[in-house]
Amino acid sequence: MEGAPKPLRVAIADDALLLREGIAKVLADGGIEVVASVGTGAELLEIANRGGLDAAVLDIRMPPSFRDEGIVALEEMRAGGSKIGVLLLSMYATPEYALRVMGAGSGTGYLLKERVSEPQTLVRAVETVASGGSVVDPEVVEQLVKRTRADDPLSRLTERERSVLELMAQGYSNGGIAQSLFLGLKTVETHVRSILQKLDLEESPEHHRRVLAVLTLLGAR
Amino acid sequence: MAPGRKGRILKRSAVIAAVVAVSLAMEISGFLATPEGQRPEASWTTLHAIVPLVFAASAGVAWSIGSALGPARLMVVFPLLWIPQTFYRVIEDLGWLWPLVRGVDLAWAVLTGILVLLYPRGWLVGRVDRWIAGIALAASIVNLLAVLLLAGPDPAVCECAPNPYRIAELPVLFGFIDVGYRIVGVTLALVIAARLLVSWVRGSVPARTVAFLMPLALLAWVITLAAQAVSYAAAATADEVLSTVSLIAIASIPVSFVAGIAHARNMRARVADLMRITREGADRGLWAESLARTLRDASVRVYWWDEERGRYADAAGEPIDHDPADRRGDHSLLPVASPTGMPIALIRHDRVLTDNMRLLDGVSSALRLSVDNGRLRSEIERTLEHVRQSRSRIVEAGVEARRRIERDLHDGAQQQLVSLGMRLRLAANHARSAGDDGLAADLEDTIAMLNLALKELRELAHGIHPSLLSSGGLALAVPELAGRCPIPVEIDVQAEGRLPEVIESTAYFVVAESLANIAKHSRATRGWVRAHVRDGELELVVRDNGVGGASPDGSGMVGIADRVDAVGGRIEIESPPGAGTTITVRMPLGVALVEA
Repeated sequence: MEGAPKPLRVAIADDALLLREGIAKVLADGGIEVVASVGTGAELLEIANRGGLDAAVLDIRMPPSFRDEGIVALEEMRAGGSKIGVLLLSMYATPEYALRVMGAGSGTGYLLKERVSEPQTLVRAVETVASGGSVVDPEVVEQLVKRTRADDPLSRLTERERSVLELMAQGYSNGGIAQSLFLGLKTVETHVRSILQKLDLEESPEHHRRVLAVLTLLGAR
Repeated sequence: MAPGRKGRILKRSAVIAAVVAVSLAMEISGFLATPEGQRPEASWTTLHAIVPLVFAASAGVAWSIGSALGPARLMVVFPLLWIPQTFYRVIEDLGWLWPLVRGVDLAWAVLTGILVLLYPRGWLVGRVDRWIAGIALAASIVNLLAVLLLAGPDPAVCECAPNPYRIAELPVLFGFIDVGYRIVGVTLALVIAARLLVSWVRGSVPARTVAFLMPLALLAWVITLAAQAVSYAAAATADEVLSTVSLIAIASIPVSFVAGIAHARNMRARVADLMRITREGADRGLWAESLARTLRDASVRVYWWDEERGRYADAAGEPIDHDPADRRGDHSLLPVASPTGMPIALIRHDRVLTDNMRLLDGVSSALRLSVDNGRLRSEIERTLEHVRQSRSRIVEAGVEARRRIERDLHDGAQQQLVSLGMRLRLAANHARSAGDDGLAADLEDTIAMLNLALKELRELAHGIHPSLLSSGGLALAVPELAGRCPIPVEIDVQAEGRLPEVIESTAYFVVAESLANIAKHSRATRGWVRAHVRDGELELVVRDNGVGGASPDGSGMVGIADRVDAVGGRIEIESPPGAGTTITVRMPLGVALVEA
């Protein structure tokens, strides 16, 4: 990312100090300003409430109960009206959590923790959620797509449409999909329309709703 | 021993048939040989002929019941001694035979008397009984000798050939012995009847219910016998009515005897009932009640040994000494002790029951069994409860241990490897910017390998304990499990809030194993998982539309059943061939639902 005029301001919450610092370093290297780094969801909420943040990166499993504190913090932020981007990190690729994260609203993302070893992925994800986009870890999508179902609607899709659908589920915009697959934007739009039609989904004005719809469809098949 | 039994039955039937044949032959031939004018009435003859038949039939019944073999033998001999007066007409020309027959023609009465004496045990018990039997036998022998040596043909009976054994003509002496024999017989019969009556009157309900037939029959017989003896002594002719009553009374004696035996047998059957109640573990009150029923003695009391106070007391705690009924002396006490000599109880029962030692033996062993059973049962229950608790502790500890291992992996190895990957990435970036592309490529390969290792570790940790179960409960974990199943599975999980951890993890295990079985063996195209909380239980149903025929003894099913068992749950496996498999598991949730 070359020379953004104003760097993104991000706070990190993870109870593992080593990772927290690693994430901060990766983000800083990617031109993102890490303004705070804490160990619990509650602390992060406090910082977020003070304002001035563009995005937050949260571990899902944190003290005190080591269950889903990260997602709970996200839901509280959204309930409190905060629109900042929120990226959840997890050791496990759990579709049910991905759906919950997407369900919280736009500007949310769900990534495996090991993506910290792919700095670009992490940085791009933070940028995406900060700008109101959605991110879903490819492994989650892979798991969902792998689920076999009787009368599978996916069987109606062509190979190409399947690839497009997987990227849709990961949160890519039509432009992003075009770039990833080396296709023209028009072609992608045609594919997307066809997919939505075949899967009986409505094109939604809000980008994250499209992700949610696709994920839900995949999960509920 | 079926062949031996069969042979015995055949032999006995043959004996009875032979005896009946002889008896009927005597009766009929005698009747035919008597000139028409002197014949007794046909109806009376018929009745007379029936008496030995009743004895023979009773012998058969006694034999088939299996007890009282001695009395049965007496009964089967009776018809041979039941010689009709008319029979003398048949043998009147056989001088060598008729005196012998006449010498024994009252032996049936002696035999009947002894039969009564044997009642109801089947053998002579008291000294008096033995004396009576001895006197009767001795009198019979004297009578036989007197008839042989002194009797001449009696014109009232037959026109017999002279008696070849006769040594003297002493009609007065012979008449004296003849009448005396009858008097002795009647006297003895009276004594027997009196004894029977007294014991019957003094007996309590249990004894009386058994024995009322016999004294009645005996009494009727004795009275007619006495009347006949008087009329015989007075040389009068026999009274028709009296002799009819007499015949009926005699015939009813073996019947009473058999009825008594059958009743005793019934009594033993009731002891068997008592044993059954004992086996079923009835409480003390019920046991005492059943005992009273068994013994037909409402006055039965059971006093249980009170270990603490060192005394016997009834079920209500009333000690034995305070029972006024005890002082009357109508009751006996039967102490029952365990095989180790520890007192168990005192049974206070009617004294008459003392005669029936076998019954009381049965009762006391039932009681012993009951107490031993009770002790064993409570011991087993205690042990079982122990085992149950320790098993559930082990299971809980197992769940906890797996959860901790997963958490250690998550917070330790997994985090470390993730940050290791991050460091490697930084190093690779450095190498690339420093122009060392070879090193950078190596490092990137290492990162790829590390990520593969991480993925495997993630699967492993998930297998040890699914984090989703800890954080989201069954509502999240079950759909995730179903998602991993290669065939489509419909989910219906309605478990509000969180359930106890051990229940959740057991349910998760059941679903995971069942789905794995479905995927591996069922050839199903569809599966269903339903989890509902209802009435403090988690009901879990895993169903498929596969080939069925799943065995509850398969290792997978046994594993599931063991886990369910360990948390006090129940499992039902329905797997008819060709109609899919349904596994239904119900697990109690215990004290309270844990709120999420």
